[in-house]
Amino acid sequence: MALPLAFYAIVVLVPLAQSFQYSFYAWDGVSAATWVGLGNYITFFTDPVLQSTLGHVLVLILFFSVLPILLGLLSTALITRRKLAGMAVFRFIYFLPQVLTSVVVALVFKRIYGPEGALNSMLRAVGLDALTRSWLGDFTWALPALGMIGTWVTFGFCMVLFIAGISNIPTELYEAARVDGAGPLREFFAVTLPGLRAQIAVALTLTITGALRTFDLVWVTTGGGPGTATLTPAVALYRAAFVNPQVGKAAAIGIVMALLCLAIAMAISKFSERD
Amino acid sequence: MKQSRTVRRTLAAALTATALLAAAGCAPGGTAPAPAPSSSSSQAVVTDVAAAGNVTLKMSDFWGGSEGEWIKSMIQKFQTKYPNVKIERTQEDWGQLTSTLNLQLAEQDGPDIATANNGWQSLGTLAKGNLVLNLDKYSTAFGWDKLIPSTIARQNQFTTDFKTIGSGSLFSTPVARVSLIGIYYNVEKLNKLGITPPTTLTEFEAAAAKIKDAGEIPIAYGSQDSPTAVLLGLQAMYASADAINNFTYGDTAVTADQAGLTKAAETVKKWNDSGWFTPHHEGINYQDAVANYLDGKGIFRFEYTGSLGLTDAQQGKFKYIQLPQASGSGTVGVGAAPSAMVIASKCKNPDVAAAFLDFLMSKDAAQASADFGLIPLMHSDITVPEKMATLQTEAAGADAIAKSDGFVPYFDWTSPTMLDTLNQQMQLLYAGKTDPAGLVKAVDADRNAFLTGSK
Repeated sequence: MALPLAFYAIVVLVPLAQSFQYSFYAWDGVSAATWVGLGNYITFFTDPVLQSTLGHVLVLILFFSVLPILLGLLSTALITRRKLAGMAVFRFIYFLPQVLTSVVVALVFKRIYGPEGALNSMLRAVGLDALTRSWLGDFTWALPALGMIGTWVTFGFCMVLFIAGISNIPTELYEAARVDGAGPLREFFAVTLPGLRAQIAVALTLTITGALRTFDLVWVTTGGGPGTATLTPAVALYRAAFVNPQVGKAAAIGIVMALLCLAIAMAISKFSERD
Repeated sequence: MKQSRTVRRTLAAALTATALLAAAGCAPGGTAPAPAPSSSSSQAVVTDVAAAGNVTLKMSDFWGGSEGEWIKSMIQKFQTKYPNVKIERTQEDWGQLTSTLNLQLAEQDGPDIATANNGWQSLGTLAKGNLVLNLDKYSTAFGWDKLIPSTIARQNQFTTDFKTIGSGSLFSTPVARVSLIGIYYNVEKLNKLGITPPTTLTEFEAAAAKIKDAGEIPIAYGSQDSPTAVLLGLQAMYASADAINNFTYGDTAVTADQAGLTKAAETVKKWNDSGWFTPHHEGINYQDAVANYLDGKGIFRFEYTGSLGLTDAQQGKFKYIQLPQASGSGTVGVGAAPSAMVIASKCKNPDVAAAFLDFLMSKDAAQASADFGLIPLMHSDITVPEKMATLQTEAAGADAIAKSDGFVPYFDWTSPTMLDTLNQQMQLLYAGKTDPAGLVKAVDADRNAFLTGSK
């Protein structure tokens, strides 16, 4: 017990405490730091660029979490009502994006979204030339375009999770519902959805905190641009820590993100455990 | 509920640990090495490398391609000259090295010599943190003060209170080669359209208009991740070298407008509105833009010399122009040694390390640059090989700047965040979300925030 705890303390707690400490200093990472109190936190919540990163995260949560969970529930409901041949293959295909490294995913989508990429070629092929654009270089579309990558990646994960969850719901419940004359819709809301509460909580926790921490996808595709249209807190943190020597600011961003993730995880677990 | 209790316990432990750290009174950064220069500056410099005994120097640099070949050959030559010295080179990716150099230099086992990025982002921070040596005594001993042109030397200087860049002590050295911002053109395509290579900005614009009318792309470009070369190239045509130098080196009497930035931004916007850039450049990244240009898409390109990575077979297919100032007198151009060479404070044989830096500034090093297709610096009568047809035009550009004493530093050395600001503002400019005046305002604001210490 003592050894794992010591290990945990060295690997997690000490760096966490250090970050917490750094967050109160203006520090370039090399020379002596100056105490700035809550200055870095105040900057985070007053600097318009850093503030905007929180707005971007909300949009990403919609694409990384809400949309995949809704799609996952819908497709699970459709698939599990009837036994289909080749289910395993379907599941494999949908789960595949989860297996790919996010950098690979990002590079592939960078090609797809490019001015001469597959998406624009498809639009041109069907005569929608007016809709073609540089998806990742467009101030309006860059963030939703990034979001769609996230939807693509997490949708399969949600679906596989829900299909596994459904197999735990006693078939008697479905039979009872059918005896009572419930249609597919009633059955879904009365049996499937309550039965999947634990899985939905897991999916929400992982995808929302995932959205909050989005780094690699943005770093590889847009680097936070155009302008600061796709900047996320994690990218801002990386820039502050490694590109511009502002370690204190980076630490403050990290602490805020950690607290947000913690709050979200706690809120969801509380919500899902309530009867 | 169990989960949240664990969480609470974790938080409590973290807070306790923090309290302990705070109680111990250790502010971050306190572990930086004590200032070494004061003690070692009193010792005389030993310039006799052969007498130094067996020495191993570790070197970290970010040079690949022909630059990598160049440094390999220089190390080879130095070791042949001094068999008692062994240089162990580690090559890293640019981003990787610049983001970790402070940690590497703080390590007991870190590199003795390294390439740092100029300006506050890297070199300034390292100098301020006492991680790299003050090179003043070597400058006198090796005669660098007479060798390095003052405009290049400034790029490596900081005052010892570390409030000012561009004057004071030397903390790094250039190498005997230079990288410029200028315009490349596709020789075959320009000939085909019957256009002679422009020699003034007016001629350049006339040529661009003609190319556009002929249905070709006048200026190959990608602004998704690295849009600034065109802006900085134009800025040097509008402002005096002094104005750009002084702005970058923190002289608040000069504004970004006086440093030519408004006119440069206006011109860039005009060119964009005229459709002279590659269509959809906002979605094209730097690497793709370079690849497209080498593929023949687009006739002109604003670029850093050496960045096109021309093969021997491609030499001469693209040529280089350093346009004179818009006013017609003299040539100003962004030009810097491609890296600042530093010696770690922890280096055990700083005299030998300094001798190697001296070797990298020698005439031999300049000649080797030309042999590898890189623009030599600091020495005249260098022979540029016949087959390096592109390099001949690039070297002519460097000569033109040198004659006007017109070297200016990269504008983004002004503050650690200036490159981000420039990138973002240019993208906003292209999207019509700001105007040239707004861009200039943001640049001034960035610098002033940095100078007053609020950033």
